[in-house]
Amino acid sequence: MKINALKLRLKDALVPLILILIAFLFSAIWISFMGKSPLEAYRALFAGAFGSTSGVVNTVKKSVPIAFASFAVIVSTKANVFNIGAEGQLAMGAFGATMAGIFLKGLPAAVHIPAAILAAALGGMAFALVPALLRVKRGINLLVVLLLMNNIARFLLQFFVLDAFASDNALVPSTDRIMESARLPYLIGPPYRLTIAVLIVLAVAIVLELFFRRSTAGYEMRAVGLSPEAARYAGIDINKYMLLGLLLSGALAGVGGGLEILGNHHRLYIDFSPGYGYDGIPIALLSGGSPLISILGSLLFGALRTGSLNMQAKVGISDEIISVIQGSLILCIAANYFVKYLLNRRRSGKAGKEAGQ
Amino acid sequence: MTVSFFVVLLLSVIRLSTPMFIAGLGNMYCERVGILNLGAEGMMVSGAFAAVLGSYYTGNPWIGVFCGMVGGLVAGALHALICVEFGGLHAISGLGITMLFNGVTKFLCLSIFGSTFTPNVAALQTTKILQGVPVLGKYLGALSPLVYLGGLIAVISYFVIFRTPYGLRVQMVGDDPRTVETAGINVWKMRYSGVLICGLLCGIAGAYMSLGQLDRFFEGMIAGKGMLAVIAVKMGKWEPKGILGTALLLGFFDAVQLQLQINGIIGIPPEMLQLLPYVAGIAVLSLQTGATRLAALDTQYLRNKYKF
Amino acid sequence: MVYAVEMRGITKRFPAVLANDHIDIAIKAGTVHAIIGENGAGKSTLMNILYGLHKPDEGEILINGQKQAFGSATDAIDCGIGMVHQHFMLVPRLTVADNVVLGKEPRKGLLYDRKAAIAKVAEVCSRHNIQVDPAKKVADISLGMQQRVEIVKTLYRGAEIIILDEPTAVLTPQEIDDLGEILRQLKEGGKTIIIITHKLEEVMDFSDDISVLRGGKHIATLRKAETDIPELTRLMVGRDVQLGGRKESAPGKEEALRLTDIVYAAAGRQILKSISLVLHKGEVLGLAGIDGSGQTQLAEIVAGVLTPSGGSVVYHSRDITGKTVAQRKKEGIGFIAQDRQKHGLVMDFSIAENLVLGFQRRPEYCQYKIAVNSKAVISDAQKRIREYDIRTPGEQVRVSMLSGGNQQKVVVAREMGSRPQLIVADQPTRGVDVGAIEAIHNILINHRNKGGSVLLVSLELDELMMLSDRIAVFFDGRLMGILDSATATREQIGMMMVGSSLEGKEGPAS
Repeated sequence: MKINALKLRLKDALVPLILILIAFLFSAIWISFMGKSPLEAYRALFAGAFGSTSGVVNTVKKSVPIAFASFAVIVSTKANVFNIGAEGQLAMGAFGATMAGIFLKGLPAAVHIPAAILAAALGGMAFALVPALLRVKRGINLLVVLLLMNNIARFLLQFFVLDAFASDNALVPSTDRIMESARLPYLIGPPYRLTIAVLIVLAVAIVLELFFRRSTAGYEMRAVGLSPEAARYAGIDINKYMLLGLLLSGALAGVGGGLEILGNHHRLYIDFSPGYGYDGIPIALLSGGSPLISILGSLLFGALRTGSLNMQAKVGISDEIISVIQGSLILCIAANYFVKYLLNRRRSGKAGKEAGQ
Repeated sequence: MTVSFFVVLLLSVIRLSTPMFIAGLGNMYCERVGILNLGAEGMMVSGAFAAVLGSYYTGNPWIGVFCGMVGGLVAGALHALICVEFGGLHAISGLGITMLFNGVTKFLCLSIFGSTFTPNVAALQTTKILQGVPVLGKYLGALSPLVYLGGLIAVISYFVIFRTPYGLRVQMVGDDPRTVETAGINVWKMRYSGVLICGLLCGIAGAYMSLGQLDRFFEGMIAGKGMLAVIAVKMGKWEPKGILGTALLLGFFDAVQLQLQINGIIGIPPEMLQLLPYVAGIAVLSLQTGATRLAALDTQYLRNKYKF
Repeated sequence: MVYAVEMRGITKRFPAVLANDHIDIAIKAGTVHAIIGENGAGKSTLMNILYGLHKPDEGEILINGQKQAFGSATDAIDCGIGMVHQHFMLVPRLTVADNVVLGKEPRKGLLYDRKAAIAKVAEVCSRHNIQVDPAKKVADISLGMQQRVEIVKTLYRGAEIIILDEPTAVLTPQEIDDLGEILRQLKEGGKTIIIITHKLEEVMDFSDDISVLRGGKHIATLRKAETDIPELTRLMVGRDVQLGGRKESAPGKEEALRLTDIVYAAAGRQILKSISLVLHKGEVLGLAGIDGSGQTQLAEIVAGVLTPSGGSVVYHSRDITGKTVAQRKKEGIGFIAQDRQKHGLVMDFSIAENLVLGFQRRPEYCQYKIAVNSKAVISDAQKRIREYDIRTPGEQVRVSMLSGGNQQKVVVAREMGSRPQLIVADQPTRGVDVGAIEAIHNILINHRNKGGSVLLVSLELDELMMLSDRIAVFFDGRLMGILDSATATREQIGMMMVGSSLEGKEGPAS
């Protein structure tokens, strides 16, 4: 029985890989459309991400907020509230962490850092609150609201950075720097600057895995996610879990944004996130709902974001090609039923032949 | 406040609500055949950029509009392929369309023009022929011809949906595709047609934003207008009149914030004013009652040969 | 001789099952031909093939002696075949005429000619002597009427061969008689009629010839005059069956459940109008009525899934009106919901996970109040799979992989496993095979014999009369009366189901 289950999983693992491959092929078309060699471009991409120690460290660093965004999306999908607003919540989390980092004064690092992370979680959660309430109380189409919330977050961020908390002495518009005591300690110091955020990612992933696999609340949340009606008939409070799912999701996205500030930038910029929140969506969908597996996907996207800079420099392909890969990957995921169908047809065709012989 | 202030405001409302209105009409077809379209935004981006490209290379804005239609159509075709043919998830496909075309247009814009915005191109910001109309000519002529095209599309759409056999079928597909199939109608053709019409109209809406309101394309210019169009459709109960009403309402908030920004009347920072249309959109959506709903919206309907 | 329909060697495989296994059936023109078999015998698949909705893997179809290959329903319609599906293919928002002409709309220029549509539909109706108002909205007419609309739909398209899938499932006894009359007239008009059903009484009433399918195979084709119900049952099931269980004692006198003045309204419509009734210990109370008369809502109110707009629910002398589903489960109320796939089961959960759904907070399944006790869940699942004869390779299999009957057994095993006192069962045998029906009937009757109470909703009068001690008949949200099932007749219940009260007076028009 167990081997059977494993086989099934291995078979399913093929699907995400095929989808990623298709997305890369599709994006290759655009690259050649611009008169560049896709092979060369992808080689530069790979070299940029893994060709040097600093490349690898950057890949890992960039995967931190992406991983949190994917956790956020995973948690939300478990509770049947697909959170595509992670980008906005991430920004609000970053804002929360920045505020705690700047204005909480005189705290030791051991208190200040957790406090700032908590502020990040609250920021993300607060930003998910309105959509969550609208969904639960009024049954509103969540996706539409969340996409609009991302727009709102962009303007709020502009307001905070350009207006309300603008620093007087900064070259690029940004807030003041956060206190030393709020900055995450390094695992690997300068010039690489890899912080303990990596450990936080692993710890959160493990806690989430345990929550969904072992806890009764996790079981109930999964029931709500897979079949809200059946869960309601079984006496599970589905509104509670939808609300909880979205708020927890917002908090996770917020922490992702917060760690980015506390660990890397130490101040808030308008463009501090190149779209980490959106990266989380395809990863979450491809990881089959497992936070640990989603870390792998986050590393892939971290690598894309790191390597694309090298690609831009070496081959002259705008790093915006990452959004193309990202978008086409999501389209491939949407069409994954069809990929499964094709795989199944090949397999059953083979099986049929074997049986016939 | 003078009369002219209100006229300016009115013209502004019409200008700002037009893209939501045209894209909303497109989404009406799409949702009525049962396909949820969160990709309206991407279809509009595609249309807006293609329109500018067309106008840039030919110097003729009408060819630009045509290119915009093609741009929207391409995005629509992709959505249709995934949702109609491949049994894909509509919401995720729509999200992918939006993200893909945001990326593709920015990528192309950077690659072709070396910047996130294009140079100025020949546009369609005024309607010259209407300027000769007595008394009102000054105002009528100040609107893009695409605004009038939008009105025409609305009237045609009304007749198509409520007065033609095609419309009867469209109404039924969104409720119950199986019934339509057993009546011997090709459900997939119907669904394709709805999504493609939507792509086409979103393309026009996008072209209006880049050539009717402005004369260039820049990154992030659609800024949620596609999502507001989706709201307009739901709030407008999938009818041209309702969509027009909601689009005007949302356009009104946009026009108010714009006027406040321009006149700098109260000391609110511009970023906070810019939030207004989105907040209004969410508020409008939350007022919606779930009484009427298309039963088959956002459902997969697979061809037999793809079932396994 | 030339047959209206001839199907030769039809084979259709689905991933898990061989739905049709080299079926040969020939149907004479101008006859009523019944195709019978229990759920899963392959009759619907066969008819979907004939109607072009499925493509057969092997075999050929001849219509009036001509070989045909149908790529879609359109091809079948062009060949003069019409189908009335079990679940009506009608859009309630639109009018009868709109629904009928869909796909072949009369036009005036580019526009749809609604007036002509109404006239044409009226003409078809009067030609075949079928009474339907073409201008009415489908939402406003009864199920029996809707079925007529479906028949008119096929006639409008020029059907000569009409397939009816389980045509009597939702009809009252009187409506069944009316349907028989319509079918007789159609036959006299030269139409060929194919009925798919598992109800043998109707088969004997309506048909000229009868084909029996079992396990995807064609077992026999018989003339009605040359067979009888026992023989058909044997052919259909392959063995003798004993449905209904055996009641071993008289019902008790103690009250288990008392409903007082229950009112329920939704979307501005009164669905239940002041219902009061009592259920005793050791009793099965059947709720009868045509589909949508409010029985399901009453069952869901007792289970706690719906909140009544007014009235009280008293269970074992305690008022539980405001209690949640979870609290009621604790109090010993089990609920077998009507739609097992939507409401009863999480289809993507394993059998083991589904067997604790709703009971996951019980101490035996929940460690330290927060964690799932996987060991207990699994060993318990294995025990119940044996006890309730759930056919599966293991407890980790997803319930979506199981047959309808086995899925229902999972639901029943779960609800019974918690040792409830009151079982609310809403159409517990809908769409399951005879083996599972037998098992479920026995479980419910055993529960009753041991002093438990059962509130049973069913659309099948036979089932209600077999299992219930008393039958409460509903019409349009009202309780028309409660009958003793030992003395009640089908006709009596049928009259009450359409609004005549117990005393035989006409009820107020709806």
